[in-house]
Amino acid sequence: MVLEATMICVDNSEWMRNGDYAPNRFQAQADAVNLICGAKTQSNPENTVGVLTMAGKGVRVLVTPTSDLGKILACMHGLEVGGEMDLAAGIQVAQLALKHRQNKKQQQRIIVFAGSPIKHDKKLLEMIGRKLKKNSVALDIVDFGEEDDGKPEKLEAVLASVNSNDTSHIVHVPAGPNALSDVLINTPIFTGDGEGGSGFAAAAAAAAAGGVSGFDFGVDPNLDPELALALRVSMEEERARQEAAAKKAAEEAAKEKGGEQQPTLQDTAMTEGPSASAAEANEKKDDLMDDENALLQRALEMSMDDTTSSHDMRDTDMSEAAADDPNLQLALQLSVQEGAKEGNEMSKLLADQSFVSSILSTLPGVDPNDPSVKDLLASMQNQSEKKDEEKGPNEDEKQ
Amino acid sequence: MACMHDHSCEDHDCSSNWSLYKHIDLSKVSALNEAIPGSVKSVFKAWEQRLNFSEGHLESNDGDPELLVFVPFTSDVKIKSISIVGGADGASPSKMRVFINREGIDFSDAQSMQAVQEWDMVENLHGVLEYQTRYSKFQSVANITLHFPDNSGGDTTQIYYIGFKGEATQLKRDVVATIVYELMPNPSDHKTKANSSGGLSHVE
Repeated sequence: MVLEATMICVDNSEWMRNGDYAPNRFQAQADAVNLICGAKTQSNPENTVGVLTMAGKGVRVLVTPTSDLGKILACMHGLEVGGEMDLAAGIQVAQLALKHRQNKKQQQRIIVFAGSPIKHDKKLLEMIGRKLKKNSVALDIVDFGEEDDGKPEKLEAVLASVNSNDTSHIVHVPAGPNALSDVLINTPIFTGDGEGGSGFAAAAAAAAAGGVSGFDFGVDPNLDPELALALRVSMEEERARQEAAAKKAAEEAAKEKGGEQQPTLQDTAMTEGPSASAAEANEKKDDLMDDENALLQRALEMSMDDTTSSHDMRDTDMSEAAADDPNLQLALQLSVQEGAKEGNEMSKLLADQSFVSSILSTLPGVDPNDPSVKDLLASMQNQSEKKDEEKGPNEDEKQ
Repeated sequence: MACMHDHSCEDHDCSSNWSLYKHIDLSKVSALNEAIPGSVKSVFKAWEQRLNFSEGHLESNDGDPELLVFVPFTSDVKIKSISIVGGADGASPSKMRVFINREGIDFSDAQSMQAVQEWDMVENLHGVLEYQTRYSKFQSVANITLHFPDNSGGDTTQIYYIGFKGEATQLKRDVVATIVYELMPNPSDHKTKANSSGGLSHVE
């Protein structure tokens, strides 16, 4: 929990466009800066962090040391990449910015991201390092990006001249699959000077390492007991549900093997059944009834399932038989047509009967109330009724 | 202005005069450009111990003779004179500049600011020399900053003893500075007798 004012020197030179750090060097740097700012402000609420850029048109201080994390994140957004980095000027401006910090009790620290080649000579850099040491400013160097001849040596020389009592550090991050921020999390730059790291740093490291830190769900039960409990309960519920589902699936699998064939055939038979009766209905009644009938039939069959198995069986027999023998198919069709015919005849008769009665009534001298006429009509009616009755059971059978 | 003791010290108690070291807030003493961090605290001791070099001394970094020493007091003091014991072979400081009641001075500030008083120093290996102050300016000193810009030719500057002669008042200049406030609550700071001895109230 060291009380510290930190200035972060960001390299936004042309070399930062390179994509060897995902997604590109500048973005990896920005992520690292955000992480560091968070860690510093978390470890001690009175810590302040500032940011300056070293390339571009010149060294520019974006944010003077502040504890407002939002300001720092906002200034990192929308930074332009270009120009050449001036390391010496950057460090000197950072030192000046720290000199004018508001709380003089804070220790001074500069974090430099050195991504591009360094054009200054060693002597100048060492002199700058000594000046930092004289004013008790600590320096952390992140060596990434360009691997120039002599760059690591120069940076090591700077570190040696600045370092007093191991307060300054250097980290070399080569390009690779790991993100820059992940590599930095485990370094003393992030964890502080041997104080064991703040809670934020430890938690972030745990998250980066894939949550393998002894916490079940990446949530520290000490930090958030309710969340940890909720996660555990939901995990157990999910497990129980999956086991039950697995059991059901096993049972169904055993059943399915036995009666796999039947359901599909039943479905096809049912569709044929309603279509036949639907044809009859068409002949007898209006066409509007047809669709409703068909739908009703299908609905009935859906709910019936195994109950009317005899009917179904017959239909299945019919369909199977029909599938096998074309003669039978013809016969079936004829029988259906006969039914239809009968219907036709019936309708004709009925029509005739009404026609007859209307003719009779219109005929002069013929009184419908005359008993003989009535008997005639009655006999005709009886015939039609008989045929109706014959038709009825057939229909029922067929249905 | 230097003052020579031309009498033996057994007659009167010289050390009682140099007792301002008791009023120094040692934990807050700091120095810039010291080779070993924290070594500055060893130079503030009783007058009898001034030649005792066993506990360590203040040394500047190699090749850089400049030194800056910040000394806060626990109460306001009046400083009559200052005594410095330096190192041999040109490792003694040649000049001293002091600033009163200014915190956070660093080298660039010290070089540009007007000092309250300056002295040209002489080699003082036995600690018998003292440098008198303009007493009217040193009436209520809460902290003093000593700047040694140069030495007498050596590689580094070494200081073995710094002594202050004067009076301590019981007044404090800055009472607010001693307040500690919490930005985040820490339950261990709020343990009361009821909490810690298993009472009914429970702080989680």
